[in-house]
Amino acid sequence: MPETSAPITVPDTEEEQKPKSKDRPDRGFLVICWNDPVNLMDYVTHVFQVVFGWPKAKAERHMLQVHQTGKSLLARETFEKAEHYVHQLQGYSLHATMEREE
Amino acid sequence: MKFLPGPKKESAEPLLAFRISAREEALLLATLRLYPVLANGHHRISQDPKTAGSAEQRLLEESMAQLRAAHRRKLDELFLAPQRFFKDAPEERRLVLTGAQLEWLLQVLNDIKVGSWVQLGCPELEKAAPVNLTRPNARSLQAMHLSGEFQAALLEAVK
Repeated sequence: MPETSAPITVPDTEEEQKPKSKDRPDRGFLVICWNDPVNLMDYVTHVFQVVFGWPKAKAERHMLQVHQTGKSLLARETFEKAEHYVHQLQGYSLHATMEREE
Repeated sequence: MKFLPGPKKESAEPLLAFRISAREEALLLATLRLYPVLANGHHRISQDPKTAGSAEQRLLEESMAQLRAAHRRKLDELFLAPQRFFKDAPEERRLVLTGAQLEWLLQVLNDIKVGSWVQLGCPELEKAAPVNLTRPNARSLQAMHLSGEFQAALLEAVK
């Protein structure tokens, strides 16, 4: 499925809605999953559960966002953690990238 | 291929069993022999073109190459001793996997699935536009569908 120009939305997790503080490292890198129509929906949900440890409902929500809008912001993280997640997701052959937050 | 619920208790790690016919077993092994299908240059760390050739892009490529080599070694073990995975049960044949082996097979099958789709020119599958079949891409189409069928059967075990 072609990538869309829809804006990237912030995931609806409690942690991600917390304001930045001095105690938190810089989390200026976004982990984004892009839609590939070839991937099974159950497979994408499963991968999100395994890689992020998410409950099924949250993994399904992000899977549907990928499917319907072309992409989903999965995490906002430090460089190292974002890189780790992208490696994990690409190990499952999902189209995932890390982008510096503007 | 069909998942048989109810883990066996004979090892510390629960085993996942799937009923599989002789034909499905042969098709699964033939499909797995295609691995890897995705090209080395497929993986991109970022959409930003400035990251091409960057240290993080090289690290991703090295990481994927190592993962691919590890998958290949495990596949060679499977091809050398398929009886470790495929077992005879009363009146049926079974594919028996640990959870880790299931994850490994899911990754391998998705490489074949996505790689075959890329070889077909990344068609819009939901639009049901017919792929213009030629002798070379017929194999890719078959591999894409077969790997998807086996993936779907394996995913029944993790639902």
